[in-house]
Amino acid sequence: MAENTKQLANWIQDQLQADHDQNFALSAQTRAASLKILDAGVFPTRKDEEWRYTPLNTLLDQNIGAAKSDVPNADSIQTFKNAVPEAHHLVFINGKFSESLSDDLDSVKESGYTVKLMSQLTSDEQLQAEGTIRDAKLSDDNIFQHLALGLSQFGLFLDVANHTEVKTPLHLLNVATHEASTSLTNPVNVIHVGVNSRLKVIEQFVSLSDAQAVTIPASFMALEEGSGLEHFKIGLESDSTDHVSNTSVQVGANAHFTSHQYLLGSRLTRSNMEVGFAGPGASTTLRGIYLGDGTQHLDVRTYLDHAHPHCNSDQHFRGILNDHSRGVFNGLVLVREHAQKTDAKQSNKNLLLSRDARVDTKPQLEIFADDVKCAHGATVGELDEDALFYLQSRGISKEDAGLMLTRAFAAEITEDIGIEPVQEYVEANISSRLNELSLANV
Amino acid sequence: MLSIKDLQVSVEGKPILKGLNLEVKPGEIHAIMGPNGSGKSTLAHVLSGREGYSVDAGTAAYKNLDLLDMAPEIRAREGMFLAFQYPIEIPGVNNTSFLKKALNEIRKHRGDEELDAIDFLSLIKKQMKLVEMKEDLLKRPVNQGFSGGEKKRNEILQMAVLNPTLAILDETDSGLDIDALRIVAGGVNKLRSEDNAFVVITHYQRLLDYIVPDFVHVLSDGKIIKSGTKDLALELEERGYDWLLEKAESPS
Ligand SMILES: Nc1ncnc2c1ncn2[C@@H]1O[C@H](COP(=O)(O)OP(=O)(O)OP(=O)(O)O)[C@@H](O)[C@H]1O
Ligand SMILES: [Mg+2]
Repeated sequence: MAENTKQLANWIQDQLQADHDQNFALSAQTRAASLKILDAGVFPTRKDEEWRYTPLNTLLDQNIGAAKSDVPNADSIQTFKNAVPEAHHLVFINGKFSESLSDDLDSVKESGYTVKLMSQLTSDEQLQAEGTIRDAKLSDDNIFQHLALGLSQFGLFLDVANHTEVKTPLHLLNVATHEASTSLTNPVNVIHVGVNSRLKVIEQFVSLSDAQAVTIPASFMALEEGSGLEHFKIGLESDSTDHVSNTSVQVGANAHFTSHQYLLGSRLTRSNMEVGFAGPGASTTLRGIYLGDGTQHLDVRTYLDHAHPHCNSDQHFRGILNDHSRGVFNGLVLVREHAQKTDAKQSNKNLLLSRDARVDTKPQLEIFADDVKCAHGATVGELDEDALFYLQSRGISKEDAGLMLTRAFAAEITEDIGIEPVQEYVEANISSRLNELSLANV
Repeated sequence: MLSIKDLQVSVEGKPILKGLNLEVKPGEIHAIMGPNGSGKSTLAHVLSGREGYSVDAGTAAYKNLDLLDMAPEIRAREGMFLAFQYPIEIPGVNNTSFLKKALNEIRKHRGDEELDAIDFLSLIKKQMKLVEMKEDLLKRPVNQGFSGGEKKRNEILQMAVLNPTLAILDETDSGLDIDALRIVAGGVNKLRSEDNAFVVITHYQRLLDYIVPDFVHVLSDGKIIKSGTKDLALELEERGYDWLLEKAESPS
């Protein structure tokens, strides 16, 4: 292999060498296992079943440099803040918390609600955050998760005490800025929601101008009994960025986890979400849209572990792929032997807008219990000819009809967002992305 | 207004229309009757520009334009309207915004100003009364979950809002109860004027009691085998099609 194909690996080695000079988000003890895996430096290839459809060459070839992290001016990010007007905003520039662009941290936290940078945790909080990470079932071969765990210098810890409803949503705005070389951001975020508590978090990823960036976040979330967490991810980075994220969630008894992912940007997006049920009566709703144009590659993976009885999961993901873009959906629902009365639904629908677009979808069920209700299905289709003609017969051009039908296809997911301005923002972004598409083959 | 000459159309190599002639003038109502599978819907689809039909011979002129050479949306903007025999359900597309978009496309084409939301709403409210349609159907996705009769009323509502010059109604009366039939027919009669024309495809003479046609044509095996006045419909009601078919088959 040529020298320059190991750029990311070289960067990792450099970091490992310079280990002593850095302030890391996590303790040496927690990092140790990840560092070993990073030192071995084995990246997945397309021979790995998990990565069969997703080539990593471009990502691994990035020439990673240190980000200067000049803080952009407030105006340039205001439109992104407007996405969620009634929220607390925390802004991260190339991973680093920007005090000047963010709401005052003291004004964000309230009684029973801790919002802290990883670097500022008390030792008790550190223990708690790392406990949440350890409760997630980490796998050794997920090197990107270990890249965040082992080498992250940034991250956020959110903790909601028992019986606390946090009313104001938290908006985490991650901004990639233009640097001389590709900047790499690998934050570790931990969210812990106490017994019967509620929290809403909106994570947005954007880039300014033609930022070259690699974003590799690892998030860990734990929901205690009877609690609720609504998590939204909006990916709008430019097509000179790569984004590989790992999210690991533990849902306690009778708790409900909601996730919405709108993956509209990046050259390469890989989103891996693993949800485990930690007690009976836990449930989750997962929604998502991946929208690709040009040569974008979007890969969504979900893994649901039904380890307890009476748990429900409801997944619905939709792909819209234009031009030469490519989508991958890989969803595994595991229903363990004692997880009786499981109700698991999984649906993946894809709309191909061009002959050269492609999607590989693989919804999977592995059921070891006998008294369960499971349904899964995947479709790949084009715009409905009859519907197109019906609209045309009323005076609407074929291109506009195609846009209307495509927007409608997306709206069946976005209408469940539940926070009106966020829904409008996401729908507006989907519409403007669709308007840019040349629906040549409609 | 519409002049069809020797129209021959096939689908996947199978001839369906086999030399059809029809002249429609402004102010006229033409009824087309005929056995199942004779090509009535095919004619309606070809005239409105649906893909999948091959025109093997003949011409169709509409307002002196070469109809068969126009995109479906241009035909609509030029004032053609097809009420579908089987209206299409379109999940996720709101009935009102769809119709507003359609109307404004047509207005733009005519050089009229587009209607804003308020003006459009007052127009549509007025036309809904005409077809006695429940208001909540406006808030739903186009035709989705509508009953058979509701779909047909929605077609007539669209027609009333878009105010076409030439409307083709493909079995709009099928599946309607007597009240709905009267309402739909009432809608057509309200819209009727010296400047527009209707082609009404139907199996039932009953409809023609409400929408009184100037001409009745019998389409059989891809051709119009007999034309007459509304009395022809009464005769068909009594005698069926057999006597005509026999006549058509035996070259005398
Ligand atoms: N896409 C198609 N492929 C094959 N055959 C078709 C297609 N569309 C129509 N046909 C055939 O063309 C013939 C005419 O169909 P059409 O729908 O025009 O009949 P119709 O007169 O409207 O009948 P009905 O009274 O039942 O509505 C039928 O034999 C039908 O099966
Ligand atoms: Mg028919």
